[in-house]
Amino acid sequence: MSSKKSLALLVALIVLCVPALWAGGAQESTDEGAAEKVKVDIFQFKVEFKDQFTQLAEEYMKENPNVDLSIKTVGGGDDYGAALRSRFASGEEPAIFNVGGPQDVADWMQYLAPLNGLEVTEKAFDGVLGGVTMDGNVYGLPYNQEGYGLIYNKAMFEKAGIDPSGITSFAKLEAAVEKLDSMKDELGINAVFAFPVKETWVTGLHLSNAVLSQEFDNVNDAFNAETVEYKYSEGLKKLVDLQNDYSVQPTLSLDYSQQVEQLFSSEKVALIQQGNWAYGSIAGVNSDLAANIGFIPLSVDGGTGDSIPVGVPMYWGVNKQLDDAVVAEAKKFLNWMYTSETGKRYVLEEFKFIPAYEGYDISKVSDPLARDILDFSARGKTLPWVFMGYPTGWGMNVLGVDIQKYVADKMTWDELIAHTTEEWEKARQ
Amino acid sequence: MQGSIKRQLLFWAFVGPLVFAFLVVVVVPFLWGIYYSFTEWNGIVKSQVEWVGLRNYIELFQDEQFVYSFWFTARFAVVSVILINGIGFALALLVTQPLRTSHALRTVFFMPNLIGGLILGFVWQFIFIQVFSGLADILKIEMLRGWLATPETGFWGLVMLMTWQMAGYTMVIYIAALQSIPGELLEAAEIDGSTLWSKTRHIIIPLVAPAFTINMFLMLSNAFKLYDQNLSLTNGGPFNSTQMLAMNIYNTAFMFDRMGLAQAKAVIFFLVVATVSIIQVRMNKRREVEY
Repeated sequence: MSSKKSLALLVALIVLCVPALWAGGAQESTDEGAAEKVKVDIFQFKVEFKDQFTQLAEEYMKENPNVDLSIKTVGGGDDYGAALRSRFASGEEPAIFNVGGPQDVADWMQYLAPLNGLEVTEKAFDGVLGGVTMDGNVYGLPYNQEGYGLIYNKAMFEKAGIDPSGITSFAKLEAAVEKLDSMKDELGINAVFAFPVKETWVTGLHLSNAVLSQEFDNVNDAFNAETVEYKYSEGLKKLVDLQNDYSVQPTLSLDYSQQVEQLFSSEKVALIQQGNWAYGSIAGVNSDLAANIGFIPLSVDGGTGDSIPVGVPMYWGVNKQLDDAVVAEAKKFLNWMYTSETGKRYVLEEFKFIPAYEGYDISKVSDPLARDILDFSARGKTLPWVFMGYPTGWGMNVLGVDIQKYVADKMTWDELIAHTTEEWEKARQ
Repeated sequence: MQGSIKRQLLFWAFVGPLVFAFLVVVVVPFLWGIYYSFTEWNGIVKSQVEWVGLRNYIELFQDEQFVYSFWFTARFAVVSVILINGIGFALALLVTQPLRTSHALRTVFFMPNLIGGLILGFVWQFIFIQVFSGLADILKIEMLRGWLATPETGFWGLVMLMTWQMAGYTMVIYIAALQSIPGELLEAAEIDGSTLWSKTRHIIIPLVAPAFTINMFLMLSNAFKLYDQNLSLTNGGPFNSTQMLAMNIYNTAFMFDRMGLAQAKAVIFFLVVATVSIIQVRMNKRREVEY
C-alpha cells in the first residue's frame, strides 16, 4: 500500500511541477508592481562607456520617475549582432538597440521606428544620417563621431625634423617614413610602423575605406554598388606595402593590443594606423605620450592625400513593435540624452564623445586625437566611412583575409583584386 | 498484471522527465535545425525564411574555406588524438610507479585541464609570440620566431596547446584502468621472466583497452568540436588557415548572417563526427579483452 501511495505522490508531484515551471517563467513578465512604470530595455554594444552611460540613465530616471531604464551591454561588432538576434528570438525584445548602417537598417526594417521630427534628429550634422535614412525616414541616431588615420608620436617627428602638417600626399608620407626608418637608432624604435594584419578590421575595413571612400561618395553608394572597381587599387597596395615593409614583424600575428599598448605606447614605433578610440589605451599605459600624439592622413597615391576618414560607428534604433508608451519613452530618452543640458554634459565630458549633433561647446573636447579630428573636420579635410555599406562579412572575412594572404606571399595583388571583386559581386546577386 | 503496470508507471516516472528534457532541448532543436538547413535566413525573427531546397548543401561543397577547414580539422584530430593518448598513457605509467612524488605529479599533470579553454588560448598565445621570440633573441634559434604567423606554426601551436591541456585528463582515466589490473597477473608474468616491455605490450595494453576506447572517443569528438581554444589562440589566422570546422560554421552564421548555410554545414558536421566516432568505437571495442 505504502509504495503505491508514494508512487501516486511522485506522479502527482511531476504533474504539478511541469506546469508550475511554465507558470514560473511567465510570471516574470507580468510583474504587477511595475505596471505604473514604463520599462525601457536598452541593448547596446559600447563596452567602454557602460559605467558612465548607466550613471546618465540614473539621472534620467530621477527626473522621470515613471520610466525604468535597464541597460544591457554586449561588446564587439560580431558578438553584438549574434547576441541581438538571440535576444529578439527569446522574445525579450529591447526597446532601444544598435544598428550599424544600411545593411542593418534593411535587415531590421520590421522593427525600426522612424525617428523623424525629433529635436535630436533635426540637430544631427549634415551627412551623419545618410546610412540610416531610407525613403526619407530616419531610422537611427548616431552615437558620436570617430575618426582614424595614422597616429604619430609628435616628439619623434620633431626629433626627425618632419613637419606633420606637410604630409599631404603619398609621396610625402613615404619620404617621412623613410626618414624615420633611417633614424631608427636615434629614435630608439624597432620599426616605423606596427601594422596589425591579424586584425582584419584594421586592414579590411579601415584601410580599405580610406581608398574606397574615394570611389563611393557615401555609404549608400557602396551599399547599392553591384561591384567594386578599385579605382585606386595601386593606392591601396602602396599603403599596405608601406605599412607592412616598415613594420615590426611578423605582422600576421600582430594584434591590436601589441600594436597600441605594447609597441606604440612604449614608444617602440612611431606610427600606427588607428582611431581616436585608441586614446584611452594609450593614456592608460603612457599618459605623457598620450598628451603628445596626433593624426596624419592616410594618403592615397593618385587620390586624396590630405584627409582622414571620419564617420559614425554605430546608431541607436527604437523598436516599434513594442507598446506605444514604450516606444514614446524610448524616443524621449534618446532625445534627452543628446539635447538636454545634463545629457550634453555627459556626452562631452563623461563619455568623451566627439558629438555628431549641433549645439555642443566643442572647445571642451580635451583629448588630442579628438581635437585633431575636429580640426580636420573644420578644414573640410575628411573622407566618409563607407565600409558599413560593404556586403556582409566582405571587409573583414574576404578582403582582410586576402590581405593576410598577400602579405604572406600566398596571393598576388592582382589575384586579391580579382577575388575580392568576384566575392563582392557574388554577395550582391 | 498489477505489478507490471506499476513497473511501467515507475519506469516512466523516472525516465519520463529525462526523456521530456532531452526531447525539448536536443531532439526538437535538432529537427528544427535540419529544417533551417533547407532555407535562407538571416537570423532575425520577423524576417523572411525562404525555402531553398538543397541549395545550401550544394553551396557548402563549393565553399573552399569549408572544405579546407574540414581537412584541417581532420588532420588536427588525428595528430592530437595520437599525441594526447600517447602522452597521457605514458604519464599514467609513470605516476603509477612507486615514486615518492607520484601524487604530486598527478596533480601537476592534471592541472592544465582545470583552466578554461579561452584563457589557455591566450596564455599560449603569449608564450608562442612573446616568450618564443624572446628566447629566439637570446638563444639565436630562428625556428622560435614568427610562431602563429604561419599556417604550420598555427597548426602545431594548436596541437601543443590541446596536448598540454588534455593529456592530464586522459592520464586520470588511464590511471584508473591501470590500477584495476590484478596484481597477480603482473606478478605471474614477472616470475615467468617477462620484461617491462613485454609486460606492457601483452598484459597492460590489452587490459586497459576499454580506457583507450573511451579516451579516444572523447578526444576525437573533442578535437572535431574544438572552438574556444581555436578562437583565442589563432582566431583562424593567418588568413583562415587554422580555421576549424566549428569556427567556420559560427562565422558563416554570425559574420555573414547566413543561418541556413551554417545550419547545413552543421548537419554535415554532425554526420561526420557521428560516423567517425562510431567507427572508432567499433574498432576499439574489438581490441578489448576479457580475462
